[in-house]
Amino acid sequence: MATSFDALTAAQLAAGVASGTWSAVEVAHAALDAIQAREAEVQAFVQVNPELALAAAERVDAARAAGEALPPLAGVPVAIKDNMNLTGTRTTCASRMLENYESPYTATCVQRMLDAGCVPVGKANMDEFAFGSSTDSSAFHPTNNPWDTARVPGGSSGGSAAAVAAGMVPLSLGSDTGGSIRQPAALCGVVGMKPTYGAVSRYGVVAFGSSLDQAGPFGRTVEDVALAMDALVAGGRDAYDSTSQEVAPSFAQAARAAAEGLAGRRIGLVPAFMDAEGLTPEVRAGVMRAAAALEAAGAELVEVDLPHVDAAIAAYYVIGPAEAFSNLARFDGIRYGYQEPGCTTLAQQSARSRAHGFGAEAKRRQMLGAYLLSSGVYDTYYYAAQKARTLITADYATAFAQVDAILMPATPHAAFRHGEISDPTQMYLSDMYTISLNIAGNGGISVPVGLGEDSGLPMAAQLVAPAFADERLITFATVIERGCAAASGEAVLGVAPAFAGKGGELA
Amino acid sequence: MALTENDVRGIADYARIALTDDELTEMTAYMNDAVAMLEPVLAYNLPDITPTFHPIGDLSNVMREDAQAPARDLSREAALSNAGAARDGSFRVPSILGEDE
Repeated sequence: MATSFDALTAAQLAAGVASGTWSAVEVAHAALDAIQAREAEVQAFVQVNPELALAAAERVDAARAAGEALPPLAGVPVAIKDNMNLTGTRTTCASRMLENYESPYTATCVQRMLDAGCVPVGKANMDEFAFGSSTDSSAFHPTNNPWDTARVPGGSSGGSAAAVAAGMVPLSLGSDTGGSIRQPAALCGVVGMKPTYGAVSRYGVVAFGSSLDQAGPFGRTVEDVALAMDALVAGGRDAYDSTSQEVAPSFAQAARAAAEGLAGRRIGLVPAFMDAEGLTPEVRAGVMRAAAALEAAGAELVEVDLPHVDAAIAAYYVIGPAEAFSNLARFDGIRYGYQEPGCTTLAQQSARSRAHGFGAEAKRRQMLGAYLLSSGVYDTYYYAAQKARTLITADYATAFAQVDAILMPATPHAAFRHGEISDPTQMYLSDMYTISLNIAGNGGISVPVGLGEDSGLPMAAQLVAPAFADERLITFATVIERGCAAASGEAVLGVAPAFAGKGGELA
Repeated sequence: MALTENDVRGIADYARIALTDDELTEMTAYMNDAVAMLEPVLAYNLPDITPTFHPIGDLSNVMREDAQAPARDLSREAALSNAGAARDGSFRVPSILGEDE
């Protein structure tokens, strides 16, 4: 009897490949079929790479045939956000600037997934250079939310989230500078994790905010995200990223630890977050379902305060644009990227290549950063933002002296319609619950809690842990997943109903 | 004090982004909105707080050996392969000082 590819988790696919139920090539074909059947409506990808996928799958099958021990995710299809280099693909950052840029090497985070046996099927759409919360700023096309294709998937890693939610792949990689993994995960009803800054190497991920950027995985179950995290950290510290840190690959183990219950564990709730203006009642109710699940497993709920977190958005929109301006200064039209033809001077070529290569939001962020770093302005805003960062980090330290993790919304509202938020500074408020973690550096996970009673769209809760205690996120998120799921241990929401079972089968 | 179009033109020059007149008008409105949004951070310019520039606080500059790293060094061909213009194994650029210099 045929099994629908999208009904299987990464863990189940890897087990099936290891046991010989399916070959990796059969799984790769099923994924490519699943993508082909859904892509016209979802538009999650900017490139699909069948040859690359099938070659990787053939290597897995050859290894198995030769009797070699298979790596933990052997044969599992994965989508890669298009700001991550992968040899054999273009890395466009969904920008005209890099439309023809061929990856000269492979990013460490991508390589680690390949080393774990994953099969790369393509590059996922995103907001241009990761500036956005909707994926609508992609220079190529928008991505549609699989739960309602009139709505955005969130961003900036919207293609990565939508590909998983639509059942095109069980796993994907994204990057999170202000919420770009956790917010789209929440809007698409999938699990998305931003590990602690330094846990995953940034080498080969096109830089946006160098003190804020962190790569991480999406999956439909917490267990799959845990398996991806183990793959991402298993190679140890990356010598090519000086901020990379040694992290134990104990995430799958942390998922299993959820079965032991949470007696003696304390979870913080922030009253100011739960009563915030702009938080919809259905998101609040969803977070309280997660709280009830944690409490039912034995955890104690405790109120904590993060008094300086109000400054996080303002601090972020100083630090982020300043770092983005510095990083994107490298796109001068000379060594790579769009080059304006017919210019008579170097200055003219740079200014016109940048004007015509970058889209509107990429220009806005760089202009803001250029202003904030200019003489006289720098002292006023940049130092203030970095001092706010000190106080926000201290707030988290104080809270984590009282609790093991903090539970909060991931986003203030469900997925919005394409074009519904047109004012850029209003769009920035989408990240009100996610942004302080990028400032402080600690990790967070967005986990589905079911559908909203008003919108009928996916709802999520966000868990936040101290720096380098990311495995706790997996344990607590597993408890939430099981507590909120009708059938225990499975995805709370699974594949979006309009796309479930719509192509891609394993015999 | 609000930024004028002339201020924003100066920032665009510094940022090397050629803006059209229409773009300049829109960008000026955006810059003023964005700077207004940053206002709350000014309350944090406190004399007794040390700024945190990086989430991994004890990290200082890391220097590598000034030596070839064959596993990661790009070949000349690879380094030039994404360039808009190359000649004789080098990146090709227009005149730095202008045609008349």
